[in-house]
Amino acid sequence: MKYLRLSEKLRRIKRSPWVFHLNSGSCNACDIEVLDTLTPYFDAERLGVKLVVSPRHADIILFTGPITRESLPKVIRALKATPRPRILVAIGSCAVGGGVWWDTYSTLGGFPKLQEVLKQCRIKIDKIVYVPGCPARPEAIIYGLLLALGYIEQKVSKITKFTSQS
Amino acid sequence: MQLSRVIKPVKLLLIALKTGRVSREKYPLGPPLITDSFRGAISIDPVKCRGCGACVLICPPNALTLRFEGEKAILEYFKGRCIFCGMCADVCPVQAITVTREFELAAVEVEDLKEEIVHVMSKCIMCGRPFETITQLKYVKELKLITEKYMNMCPECRSKRVAKLFAMKPGEIFEIK
Repeated sequence: MKYLRLSEKLRRIKRSPWVFHLNSGSCNACDIEVLDTLTPYFDAERLGVKLVVSPRHADIILFTGPITRESLPKVIRALKATPRPRILVAIGSCAVGGGVWWDTYSTLGGFPKLQEVLKQCRIKIDKIVYVPGCPARPEAIIYGLLLALGYIEQKVSKITKFTSQS
Repeated sequence: MQLSRVIKPVKLLLIALKTGRVSREKYPLGPPLITDSFRGAISIDPVKCRGCGACVLICPPNALTLRFEGEKAILEYFKGRCIFCGMCADVCPVQAITVTREFELAAVEVEDLKEEIVHVMSKCIMCGRPFETITQLKYVKELKLITEKYMNMCPECRSKRVAKLFAMKPGEIFEIK
């Protein structure tokens, strides 16, 4: 079979993206926002996003929480079970950079550190989208989902500002 | 039986035509539902910022960090760890930090979420070590608390100078190189 790039693979998907909500020990604020996104007020389902109960059925994983030690083996098992291409949306400041638990003993502190563990387990994640916010707004989650599917372009980029002396 | 099969979809179609598209004006197609009191990402004004580090001390998740690289002092803002509390905007002595209503911050790489402000440090006239940002020293100069020669010395050299002054014999003169 011919090798395809991820963007081409995504273009071939003619059906709706199915999401699985994976909580790794978050405070439930982000989970409530995910609930808000999928229910009729903000209504991500009009874009075809549907919540499924098993990671085996999912195209996208909505990842929340700072990855506690207790949840780490379960998170790895859930990520192993998802079919390729694995797309992951890390929601909230905990999942992106550790949040207020950036240096505690009982958490890994964000998804970038989990990825080092996943490399050792040989689990590859094809696309990751980071959605900051504490908690992330439902609109921000919708924006992240659209970015993951490649419908819109990214707005933020690395900025370096200089003071008047330099 | 056969007739109802035909009539039912036609009825539904009529209802659908009446209501039209319900979700036309919602977020990705229309404006977002944010109010004036919403706090989003902060923006730092590089002209006003002095690099004093008050925001770095108050930041609960350590999203704002100050690091020193040679002659440069770099204030780094990592949006990914920020909890959008707005404490840095309250504590800033020169109001360089303002809270914006920006929330579309999703990024593919972690590096895209970082923002850097580069300050230049001034050197000590005694030992030549960079010790304080130039903008901060300008502010001290405006206050006229200490003389310019004393201001341009690093804290270590200042204490050394004081110790030397104490050890001097009567009639001796102290000179700054």
